[in-house]
Order: sequence, then C-alpha cells, then structure tokens
Amino acid sequence: MRTYPPPPDVITGRVAWVFGDDFDIDLVIGVENIKSYDADFLRGVCMQAYDPTFVDRVRPGDVVVGGRNFGYGHPHYPPMVALRDLGIAAVLAESFSPGFWRGETYNGVPLLTVPGISRTAATGDRVVLDWRAADVRLPDSGAHLVGTPPSDRVAHVIAAGGSLNLLLAEHGRTPAPTS
Amino acid sequence: MPSTIVEKILARTAGREQVTAGENLPVRPDRMMAYDFPGYTDVMFRQMHDDFGITELAEPERYVVFIDHMLTRGDGREQEVHQVTRDWCDHYGIALHEADGIGHQVMVEKGYVVPGAFLVHFDGHISGAGAFGALGWGVRRDLLEGWVTGQLHLDVPATTRFDLVGEFPAGVDARDLVHEIIALLGADGCAHQVMEFGGPGAQTMAIGHRQSLCGMAMFTGAVSAVFEADDKVATHLASLGVEAGDPVLPDPDASYAARHTIDLATLRPRVVEPGSARSANTRHAVELAGTPVTKAFIGSCASGRIEDIRAAALVLDGRTVADGVDLNVVPTSQAVHDQAEAEGLLDVLRGAGATIARSSCDFCFGYQKPLQPDENCISTGVLNISGRMGSTAANIYMGSASTVAASALAGSITTAEEVGRA
Repeated sequence: MRTYPPPPDVITGRVAWVFGDDFDIDLVIGVENIKSYDADFLRGVCMQAYDPTFVDRVRPGDVVVGGRNFGYGHPHYPPMVALRDLGIAAVLAESFSPGFWRGETYNGVPLLTVPGISRTAATGDRVVLDWRAADVRLPDSGAHLVGTPPSDRVAHVIAAGGSLNLLLAEHGRTPAPTS
Repeated sequence: MPSTIVEKILARTAGREQVTAGENLPVRPDRMMAYDFPGYTDVMFRQMHDDFGITELAEPERYVVFIDHMLTRGDGREQEVHQVTRDWCDHYGIALHEADGIGHQVMVEKGYVVPGAFLVHFDGHISGAGAFGALGWGVRRDLLEGWVTGQLHLDVPATTRFDLVGEFPAGVDARDLVHEIIALLGADGCAHQVMEFGGPGAQTMAIGHRQSLCGMAMFTGAVSAVFEADDKVATHLASLGVEAGDPVLPDPDASYAARHTIDLATLRPRVVEPGSARSANTRHAVELAGTPVTKAFIGSCASGRIEDIRAAALVLDGRTVADGVDLNVVPTSQAVHDQAEAEGLLDVLRGAGATIARSSCDFCFGYQKPLQPDENCISTGVLNISGRMGSTAANIYMGSASTVAASALAGSITTAEEVGRA
C-alpha cells in the first residue's frame, strides 16, 4: 500500500465527478483490474468507463462526490489508490457503505457525509472543504453545506495520514506527520 | 438507562457501566480473529513484529487464526502462504485452526462464540456470530489496532430492531429474509447500525438460518446483527460441549433507531440479479423464472450448513440435476460435512449428480472451479459482484439452498415449490 500525506485543513479544488447511489468503488478502475497497485496501470484504467479525460483534468485537491451508500459492494483498495494518485483529496457523499468507510478511513481518506451534496454539486464546480467541520462551499453556485464532522478519533486518523501512522506515533515508533 | 444488546456487549468490553450509540471509545474484544490470506495476515504479523516491536503477546488466547482459503489447488504457493501463517502463530502462541472448514463456522464449533461475546475479524461475515447472541464485527485493517494494543476504537452503533413473527413457509429461509429486508429498506437501510432480531418468529428459526441471516448483515449496510439468545442457542452450544452462560438481552424499553415487524409466513423465495445485493437487483424468484443456469453452488460462510444441505436434499431426493448443470455443494465445515454424511444427505446429493467438495472458502471467491465467461451461476455464496466467482463476464444469481437446488434440477431459475418439493 502506498501512503499519502495528510490533507491540509482546508482542501481547495474542483468536483472531479459525481457518482450515483449504491456506487461500487471497484467500477472506478473496472472489476477486472482490482488486484493491481501498479501506478501506471491504474492511471491507464482509472475512470475510463466514465470519462476518458478524467485522468488528465484532475488536479491535487479535487474531490469526488457520491450519492447514498457510496462504496457498496465488496470494495477493494486499488480504486482509491488510483484516485489518490491523481490527487483526489476527499470523498463527499450523502452516506457511505460501512465497509468502504472503515477501510478507507484506515487509509486516511477524508470521507465526509454531507446530505444534499449529490444534488448540489456538479462536475467542474470549484469546492472549498474544511474537512474537520465537514463544511463545504461551492463558490460557483454559492452553495454552502455542512455535513457530519468526523469524530475526534477519525480526525486524528486523517490528520496522521491513516491509522497505521497514528498507531505508530502512539507507540513512539515513527512520528505521525502533523497537519 | 435501558440498553440494546450491542450497547450491553460494548459497555462490558469497554469497562463501562453503559455506553450510548454515537460514542467513539476503545473496546477490548474477547477474540480477535483472522483467516490467512496474502496481503492481510502476513502483512499484519510483520507489522506487529517489525514495525511495533512486539515479540510476544500478553494474552495470546485472545487471538485466533483460521486457514480456510486457498486449500484446494495443493500447489507450492498455497503451502508457502500457509507456512508463513503457521510460523507466526507458532511464534506468538496463537491458536490456528487449519482446514477444519470456514472460520466463521469453525469459530462456533471450537467454542469461541457464546452469548454476549464480542469478536472482531477483518472480514465482515463474522457477523454470523450474532446467531448466538454474540457480537461479531468486521473491522477490516483496523484489526491491526486490536492485535497491537488489545483494544480498538469503535463508534457505538445504533440498533434497528426486527420483531419477527410467524414461521418460514416451506422452501423459504433466511436468505429470502435478508433480501426481503434489503428490498424493503434499501441496501443502506441499516447503515452503520446493528440489526437486532427477536420475537416469536426469531425463536422458530433454526440456528443455521440465524447464522445465514446475521452473516449477510453487511448487505443492509449494517456493521453486524444479533439475535436474542434463547434455549435453541443453549442446546446447540451444549451439543458442541460449550456452556452458553447467561444471554445478554435487550432491555424492554431500549432505544432503537427504527423498529420493524416482519411476518416470516408472508415471505416468498427471492433471487438477486448479478451485480450486487442492492434492492434494485432483488427480485421475487418467479420474476426470473426460466433464466438458464449451468453452474449451481451451495456453500459459503452464510449458507452450506446442515439446514441448507437438508433443504437441497429434500428438493433433489430421487432426482437428477438437468443436463449441462454442474452443481457443487461445499459444507460450511468438516463437522457439517460429517453430519450431512451421517444423515445420508450427501448420498442423496451425489445421487442427484452433485459434486461434494471439501469445506473451504475457495468456491465462493472464484479460486476453485472459477466461472467461465458468459456462464450463469445460481449461488448461495455471499457475493454476486462481477468477477467474484471467476470470469468478470459470468453472471451470478443468489438465492437460498432450496432455490439453488430447484434451479439446478430445472436447468433454469425456479423455486422448490415449482418443482413440487416445498
């Protein structure tokens, strides 16, 4: 597994894509590719079924948006690796499937439940996200949504760049990065 | 304050008088389990030893490992994977159960699952422990926190209560119930919650059916599911030489996020279309009648117990599966296999043309006899996502053991009732 630095307190970018309800994250790279962690390979398959221009237009700080129950199915890790390699900094959704939520929270991805986000945000919208407060501003439309902030523990996990980093820091093995 | 079953179990394991849904707090599971699989246990053991410097365990009895995947090819790769696990378990003094069957069943047979127990595993199907009034929670890679520190930080989940009444009609079982619940509430109907089952209908349910229902909890969005432990639980555990102890029951005025009553007598066979178990894919079996199948599978951690094998034998007794259909039956554990053999059920199934395979997880995840492109399979496995049982171009329909057996008999999707055996 690759590791990624923790996000800044305020994530600034654009909405890179808006997914529907019950979205199976494996479809981001295609179910036939879910065992690969090869960066070049993942870049080649990422979002090809949805938007072939995706990999070229995503910038660090961009986010993806989901509907209800984002991550449903049998989530594997490579799809989020592919998205994070491109710079995707957070996922905002109406709600998350618990297995996906736990797995990617462990990896330090800010996964924020923001009711109304899938109806409000459109691909290409600028977004300003204070992830600790789950505070989302979409300057292009003027929309302002506030979701459910992460618990203190989850905020620590994200700020440490994932659970493993946090655990290591708590055991004095390797300091967690600070944000 | 009155509490649900999960609140009581988590309060005990958190060392608190009580806990409330929504709190995040460290809890100490009674058992921290895993099955060996490349990229999971080998990595976790290495992290525990190398990254955290843990060379011995203070409480090795709280750790349990199963070898239940990758057992059927008999090649060097399998031996290599399992030897790494054997070496680590030997090093740390951890109980290792190898090739006794699927861990989520073997954990019961070995006495780890008693009412009120709290068990974690990286795999979510440990929720099947809820059949015994225990809490089984799949925590994915957070299991490492448990293995390293002895405790995990978890959010205390809210509970949705299901009051079950009535009794399953013939040819209908817990697989139909779980998909009925998804059809009713959606695939996120119990998201981040625990499903709690009780009522007179729950008491009519066989233990294996309760395991089946609880083991599938994740597909409603739930983190787990739990039954009120009753005399059936105590009797079943006693038959395994395990003392059940006192059940942990909910207080009558416990607070629930939602409450539903389901009459089991109203249920009909359900089949889930390929893709996922979401509600849009959940159909009445009769709606899909006639869909051709060439592969059929009865087994998995959710199904493949004695109740499922009896149901299949009832449908297939004295008959043979349709030409061109390959029916594979994988008992959930070796003990289930032996019981089915003793009851004469496996002879019935063999006589019908079924292949009986050694108990393991291998069929369900496409490792053993993988599906070929464009094959239609009807399965009691836990997942029907594309590629789960082999080719990504194969189609997996899910149903109960009765429905799978009837469909194998007909060569197309149908029900036990339609083939005159319900």
